[in-house]
Amino acid sequence: MAIKLEYVARETGTNLKRNFTITLATVMTVAVSLALVGASLMAQQGVERATKRWQGGIEFIVFLNPGASEEQAQAVGADLEANPQIEKVDFVDKNEAYTEFRELFRDSPEMIEAVTPDILPASYRVEPIDKSADIVTALSEQYKTKPGVSEVVSATETIRLVQRFSEFLTKGILVVAVFLLGASGLLILNTIRMAMFARRREIEVMKLVGATNWFIRVPFMVEGLIQGVIGAVLAIGTLAIARPALEGWLPPGDQIPLLAGVVPQSSDMFPIYLLVGLVGCLVGASGAGVAVTRFLDV
Amino acid sequence: MIRLENVSKAYKGDTVALRDANVNVDKGEFVFLVGASGSGKSTFLRLLNREEVPSTGQIFVAGKDIGELSSWKVPYLRRNIGSVFQDFKLLTNKNVSENVAFALEAIGRPKHVIQSQVPAILELVGLSSKAGNFPHELSGGEQQRVSIARAFVNRPLILLADEPTGNLDPATSVGIMRLLERINKTGTTVLMATHDRGIVDTMRRRVIELDRGSIIRDQARGVYE
Repeated sequence: MAIKLEYVARETGTNLKRNFTITLATVMTVAVSLALVGASLMAQQGVERATKRWQGGIEFIVFLNPGASEEQAQAVGADLEANPQIEKVDFVDKNEAYTEFRELFRDSPEMIEAVTPDILPASYRVEPIDKSADIVTALSEQYKTKPGVSEVVSATETIRLVQRFSEFLTKGILVVAVFLLGASGLLILNTIRMAMFARRREIEVMKLVGATNWFIRVPFMVEGLIQGVIGAVLAIGTLAIARPALEGWLPPGDQIPLLAGVVPQSSDMFPIYLLVGLVGCLVGASGAGVAVTRFLDV
Repeated sequence: MIRLENVSKAYKGDTVALRDANVNVDKGEFVFLVGASGSGKSTFLRLLNREEVPSTGQIFVAGKDIGELSSWKVPYLRRNIGSVFQDFKLLTNKNVSENVAFALEAIGRPKHVIQSQVPAILELVGLSSKAGNFPHELSGGEQQRVSIARAFVNRPLILLADEPTGNLDPATSVGIMRLLERINKTGTTVLMATHDRGIVDTMRRRVIELDRGSIIRDQARGVYE
């Protein structure tokens, strides 16, 4: 049997109005927990971007002079390859560096415009066998003075610390968010249960005159779904406001290189918004679904 | 229209509400169920619209074995059965015509049907002038008329009434019985559980008497005892 849209809208509207305060509490909890989920994903993505060059065991990077000759570059490469203390060497030429740069700043056309492949240095990314700090320092000292080398940047303790800390942080936030999401689901369940209790006489009469189970259930399910969706919309709004605010608040990347690209670009946010929206729908629908099957014994 | 074959109903803890009942009610009959409180009258009625399921035996309503009915079909069974109760079960936040309309809305009837059926049924029960009143503004008798209107607006085959005059004074009860008789005359089968000796004795209809779950008397044109 087709259930009329008008009926569902009216019944759901009545429920939401009647339980306004508890609905508000539920929606806010959903919004806060989803915003935390989003923030955790944002932080994870940001740190991943900022430390991209330092992943996969890379401990130091040997940047070549933009004007270094082919022979000089090859000599440095051969030396690195031959070094028994070194596990792996990756050569990143100007074009690859440029591609990576464009990827990192794809939403900031002014940054991309200011840079051409020529001015970006080619580099060797080096993974030593022993990654302890003094060995890395000794190795980078050794290559700093080679002809054609402009500078050697090593993954300092600071970067490692940032990586570990952010990993801990994002996981922590995620755990809190999951707990809050559980709480949101239960709150939705209880809100629906209260709405059903408030309407128990109507429900009794409906059953008596032969209303189908779905006819009785659907308005309550829609109510839960709406609570989830409103919560998700609020969370997405918060994230959308927070992202550019964070970008403006943090010092620009050229002052503290570590922070370059730590705020995700706006196009990176879309999957996060999508996920937050889906989780909101899921929490709302499942809370309501459990409520109508458990407490609406038709 | 209604047939019970060896129907028993036991609740938890050895309470037997109905014991080996065999009853056959034809279309258009008017049947009184009498007996002391706890004799099984309400259980009898609740078995018919499948608010309860029999422990043993079979129940046929309009030719269908309702014990075999899957739960999603129960609402469709109930659309053929109107129910009236001692406590009316009206919705206090809806007025008279909304209360009646609610029964049609709940089974998805289109608006134009509701708009034509509700005034017609209020006319039948004599409440046209009170269509906009709320239940608390009505007398007990008027409230029971609303509840009968709601039970009958969908023109069910069967009307079940569980002590419909239980809360009403004798004069008002007579009015309610006249209404039920009129409904019965349209061909609707009426089953009514009652304690009201006066009503049963004046109407002289079929009487089924229950005692601690057993049918001890089934008499055409019977009296209360």
